[in-house]
Amino acid sequence: MLRLDAVSVRFGGLSALTDVSFAVPAGEILGLVGPNGAGKTTLFNTISGLVRPRGRIAFDGRDVTGEPLHRRARLGIGRTFQIPQPMHRLTVRENLLVAQVFGAGAHEPERIDEILAVMEIGHKADADAATSLALQELKRLEIAKALAVRPKVLLLDEVLAGLESRAKHLFMLKLRELHALFGLTIVIVEHDIETISNLCSRAVVLDFGRLIADGTPDEVFRDPNVVKSYTGGTH
Amino acid sequence: MSAKPASFRPTMPETIAGVALLLVAVAPIVFDVGNYALGLLVSSLVLAGLGLSWALLGNLGGMVSFGHAAFFGVGAYASALVSARLGLPVVVAVPLGGLVASLSAITMLPTLRLSGPYFALAILAYAQIFRILATEAASITGGAGGLQRYPSLPTILGLDLSSRTGSYLLVLSVVAVFAGVYVAIRRSHVGIALRAIAESEVATRVVGVDSLRLKAWMLLLSAFMAGVFGALNAHVIGFLEPDYAFGGSWSMMPIIAAVFGGYRTVLGPICGAVAIYLFDQLVAKSLIPVGHEILLGVVLAVMVLIAPNGIAGFVGGLLDRPKGGRPHVAT
Repeated sequence: MLRLDAVSVRFGGLSALTDVSFAVPAGEILGLVGPNGAGKTTLFNTISGLVRPRGRIAFDGRDVTGEPLHRRARLGIGRTFQIPQPMHRLTVRENLLVAQVFGAGAHEPERIDEILAVMEIGHKADADAATSLALQELKRLEIAKALAVRPKVLLLDEVLAGLESRAKHLFMLKLRELHALFGLTIVIVEHDIETISNLCSRAVVLDFGRLIADGTPDEVFRDPNVVKSYTGGTH
Repeated sequence: MSAKPASFRPTMPETIAGVALLLVAVAPIVFDVGNYALGLLVSSLVLAGLGLSWALLGNLGGMVSFGHAAFFGVGAYASALVSARLGLPVVVAVPLGGLVASLSAITMLPTLRLSGPYFALAILAYAQIFRILATEAASITGGAGGLQRYPSLPTILGLDLSSRTGSYLLVLSVVAVFAGVYVAIRRSHVGIALRAIAESEVATRVVGVDSLRLKAWMLLLSAFMAGVFGALNAHVIGFLEPDYAFGGSWSMMPIIAAVFGGYRTVLGPICGAVAIYLFDQLVAKSLIPVGHEILLGVVLAVMVLIAPNGIAGFVGGLLDRPKGGRPHVAT
């Protein structure tokens, strides 16, 4: 479904990503893990097309390295942002309408209603996105927008951050529901080891822009390099 | 991508507002306000059209232009030249003027990668280039001496469009047509996306919106509209010179008019332009004959402080308040 080959990104003198390679098979829920500044969001920006890398990114068997952001969305790469980015001047429903019409190439009001219901923000459908939604509702809107594009792969950037444990558990169940309901491949950035262990069949770990571990959650969290990166050891 | 309209069926308040506007628009003819007043109204409507084209760019795509004088001037010169030198009928030359203004905007497309003040300043620079070109290309444009011998507006179906009444009805009709086009775009899926682009461009791109392409279309359309009004104005007044046609006031006045009226609405820039122009000509000039524009600055500053969304936002807010509904942002 998604393959990265020797992907590198530099910002001036800083190497944000260095020779990152891994593949994500269709249907997998992959955890993307690493300390702050490891390059997780940069990797999402690179896959979704916000940042142009060296190396190669293939999606659905097609090289998308040079494709712009909007075209990657239309191909089926959906994403959310760590800080939600609603379309401020639109209502919640209009947010999904724009995503559906331009991303999926069709206007299907019933599907918008379905997504709003699944994400439990139907009661805010005609409210202003920017002024009427609490942070957790904005995060749900982020996912709803991405779903409206009919993504094949969904990149979720810390959607569980800031939730207390009960709410986090419920949201995790919601992600499992979405995975099954929409037949998604999911890559999720998350700091919480327990969440990754419960949700993901596989995890990759970044540290200082390099991939340092790739395997099942149990394997990677026992990896000495991963333990060292989380306990502050020098790389 | 789809341009399918969200809904074109007017609501009852919109219908009432439309009928009221129509009555206000024909009142100067019905009550025969005289040539001087009609002349002022024609000029204010030219400014209204320019304000509408500026607001379209700002509202649908978030592009703040400091250089609409470029499109206005190019449209004016193109129409005057093709009607005078090539002998094309004025009714063909005017839209052609708009088309040439659109073509001139193609040279500005690289600026769409800029945002905020950088875009605004780049457009301002382009406007200066066109003014210099009009001055230096004397063999075509007449240079600093300008153009005087080109056809005025024709007579069509017995109506002399070069008369004050004819000019008024023509410019009013063109403003109405472009306002209709603006409303249609605003309500389409493309328009909804463009409203989103204005403040959240990345959020739109990440769901598949080709924001650069949509902004480019809006720039070309805005330039076309400004060019048409430049062309109409040229044929109404009967003379052109670079410092007039590309003058900074054609860049600043539409901004003042749109902000005063409420640039996020369709009617705001039109009402704002008429109000501001008539205030300038009838009040400010009589109070301060030289430097009367300073009063426009004062009026705009007061307006921004007490009603940042302009007249339309202020009135809309008053109408919405009793119901406690959503704040009025669009007309």
